[in-house]
Amino acid sequence: MNELEQLVADIGARSLEARQGRPAYPDAFDEQLWKNLEETGLSRLTSSEDAGPEEAAVVLTGLAKHAAAVPIVETDLLAVWLAAKAGLDVPETGPLTVAAADAELRDGSLVGTAYDVPWPHSVAVVFAARTPEALHVGLLSDAPTAESVNLAGEPRATFAFEVEASTTQTLDVEVADELTRRGAWARCVQIIGALDAARDLTVAHTSERVQFGRPLAKFQAVQHSLAEMAGEIERARAATELAIVAATDFGFNSAATDYAVTVAKVATGRAVGSVTTIAHQLHGAIGATVEHRLWLFTMRARGWIDDFGTTGHYARRLGRIALTADDPWQVVVSCPEPR
Amino acid sequence: MTQFDALCANDPELSELRTAIREFLAADRDQHGWEPAVDSWLATWDADFSARLAEAGFVGLTIPTEYGGHGLGHLHRYVVTEELLAHGAPVAAHWFSDRQFAPSLLSYGSDEQRREFLPVIAAGKLHAAIGMSEHDAGSDLAAVKTRASQVDGGWSLSGTKVWTSGAHLAHRIVVLARTSPLDPEHRHAGFSQFFVKLDSPGITIDPIVQMGGEHHFNEVTFDDVFVPDADVLGSIGDGWRQVTSELGFERSGPERILSTVTLIVAAIKALPDDADDGTAAAVGELVARMISLRQLSISVARTLASGEDAATRAALVKDLGTRFEQDSVELAADLLDRLDASAPEARRLAELLATARLHSPLFTLRGGTNEVLRGVVARGMGVR
Repeated sequence: MNELEQLVADIGARSLEARQGRPAYPDAFDEQLWKNLEETGLSRLTSSEDAGPEEAAVVLTGLAKHAAAVPIVETDLLAVWLAAKAGLDVPETGPLTVAAADAELRDGSLVGTAYDVPWPHSVAVVFAARTPEALHVGLLSDAPTAESVNLAGEPRATFAFEVEASTTQTLDVEVADELTRRGAWARCVQIIGALDAARDLTVAHTSERVQFGRPLAKFQAVQHSLAEMAGEIERARAATELAIVAATDFGFNSAATDYAVTVAKVATGRAVGSVTTIAHQLHGAIGATVEHRLWLFTMRARGWIDDFGTTGHYARRLGRIALTADDPWQVVVSCPEPR
Repeated sequence: MTQFDALCANDPELSELRTAIREFLAADRDQHGWEPAVDSWLATWDADFSARLAEAGFVGLTIPTEYGGHGLGHLHRYVVTEELLAHGAPVAAHWFSDRQFAPSLLSYGSDEQRREFLPVIAAGKLHAAIGMSEHDAGSDLAAVKTRASQVDGGWSLSGTKVWTSGAHLAHRIVVLARTSPLDPEHRHAGFSQFFVKLDSPGITIDPIVQMGGEHHFNEVTFDDVFVPDADVLGSIGDGWRQVTSELGFERSGPERILSTVTLIVAAIKALPDDADDGTAAAVGELVARMISLRQLSISVARTLASGEDAATRAALVKDLGTRFEQDSVELAADLLDRLDASAPEARRLAELLATARLHSPLFTLRGGTNEVLRGVVARGMGVR
C-alpha cells in the first residue's frame, strides 16, 4: 500500500467502526469522516491539490471499501469542477453536490426537474440544466421538492426548478457530457471498492460459518461461487483500470476516456448483478439485514450502477460504436480514432 | 507512450507489429485463399501457412536471436497471437511448438536441444503435439501411467496418451511419463518429460474423431519406444514442475478468449449500422465482455512478463474467458437471427456458427477444466 492508500484505509476504517453507534437506516452524512477528509486535504484532492484521476481513484475505491457516507465524488469531481468551469463561487469547505437535469427554455426561464440528486443537504447545490443548445450552470437555492433515499439508504432528492436563464452561466453542451462521464467514471471506481469489500466479507463469512460440521468454504460448490465472484470483480477492475489510465492520460474530456468509461460501465454493471447475488447467497439470510454490514456494500453497488446512465444505456452506446466501425475488432483492441 | 496504450497492448512498437501482421495476413489470404476459421488454433492445420508466417518473421518471437528467433517480449507474441486468432488464420501446425515447446526448451532444455530445435520452431517447420492426458488421467494429471524405464543409451517408453491434437500430422510429441513408481505420499514426484519422434518404431496413432466428423485428436500408443537420452527434456524426476510452472501464459493467453472471435466480429459486421436498440445493446454487451476480458488477460500477461507470479489470476482468466467463448456462440446466433438467412454472408456465418457449436464443449475443458481452475482460484482466495 502506498501512503495515500494507507491514509484512506485508516480514515475509512475509523468511519466504518463508528457506524456501530449510528442508526442503520436511512444512512446519514458522516460529519466526522468529512472533517477528517477536509483536514487531510482528501475532500478536494483533484480540485485543489496537485492530484489527478489516479489519486482520485485511490480515494474513491478506498472510501467505498468502507461504505463512506459522504459526497466525495459529488464535491471533488463534479461540483467544484463544474463551478470552476462556469466561474461560479462555491463555499471553500463543506460538502457540495450537483443537480443535473434536462431543461426547457420557456420565456427566458429554464424549467426542469432533477431527480435522484445525491446528498441534497450539502452546503451548496450546483445545478446543471441541459438544453439541446447549451448547459446552464448556477447555484440552486430552493429546497428539494421531494426527498428519498437510494438502495443503500443514501439521501437523494428531487428538485423541480424554474430559473431565469439570464442568471445562469452558459457553457457548451460538451461540458454536460463530461459531467456525466466524470460521474459514471467515479461510480465505476467506487463500485470496485464496494465489490472488493463484499468479496472480503463473503470469504470471511464462508470461512467461519460452520454447517454440516465444516466451514462453508470447504464445500466445492461454495468455492466455485467464490471463484466466480472473484472473476467478475477482476474483469470489472480491468475495465475500470483502463478508464482510470484513460482519464489520467487524456483527461475526462477525451474520446479515449469516453470509450473506456463506456466499456467500464457495462463491465462493472454486469459484475454488480452477479457479485452481489453470490455475496448474499453465501451469507444466507443474515446478509440481507441491517444489522449485518454486507448490504452497506451490495446495495451501494446496486444503487450506484444506475447513476449517470444505466448499464443498458452504455451497452447500446458501445454497440453503436461497434456497429458503425469499419472493423469491430479494432474497437476491441483500442479506442477508435480520433482520440 | 501513454499508459493507456500500454494497457491496450498498443504502444508504438506493438502497434507497428500489429499493423505488420495484419498486412501480412491480408496479403497472404489474398494470395493463398484460406478462409477465416473459428477455433483455428485447434482446427486449421496448414504447414505451408506456418512456414510463410515464419518467413515473414511472426513465429518464435520470444526465442532469442542466437537460436534463430526474434528476441522479442511476451507482449509482442500476445499481439501477433491475438491478430492471428482474430483473423481466423490456420495456425494449428506450429501452435504447440511455438507456445509450449519453445518456452520449455528455453527454461529446461540443454544447449544442444536449443540449437537443434529452436531455429526449426522459429522457421515454423517443427510441428509438435502435447502428450499429457491419458484415459485415466484427465483433470487428475498426476494419475498418468505412461512410464519410461532406463535402457542402454536412453529410455523405453510405454503407455497411451489421448487428446493429442495433431499427433497424426506432427513431427514430435512432448510426453509426460513416470520415471519412478508412484509414491502415494508424493504423487507429483517421479515424472519426466520426453520429446519423442512420432515416427519412432513402436508408436501407433489412432484418430479420435470429434462429433461432427473432424479429426484433430488422437490416441497415441507407445509400445517399448526407444527415446535416446538426448531427447529427455529437462531433468529426470522434475517433469511435474516443468509442466506446471509455465501454465500462466497458456491459461491467460488470447486463445482463451478469442476462439470464437471470427464469428462474433463477422456477425457484428453483417448487421446494419442503424440496427435497433435491442441489437445495439446485445452487440454492446458482447463487445464489453470481450474488451474487459482482453484487458484482464493483458494485465496478467504484463504481470507474467515482468517475472511476477499471477497463477491465480491466470486461472481466473481461463475460467472467465472460456465461459465467455461458450456463451458467445449463442449470443452470436441471436445476432445472426437478425439477418436475412438466405443471404450469402448469412449462409457463410451459419457455417462458422455450426463449427463453433461443435467445438464449444471443448472450450471449458482443454488445458484444464474450469472446475479445476475454480479450485485454483478459490485456493488463491485463501479458502482451501
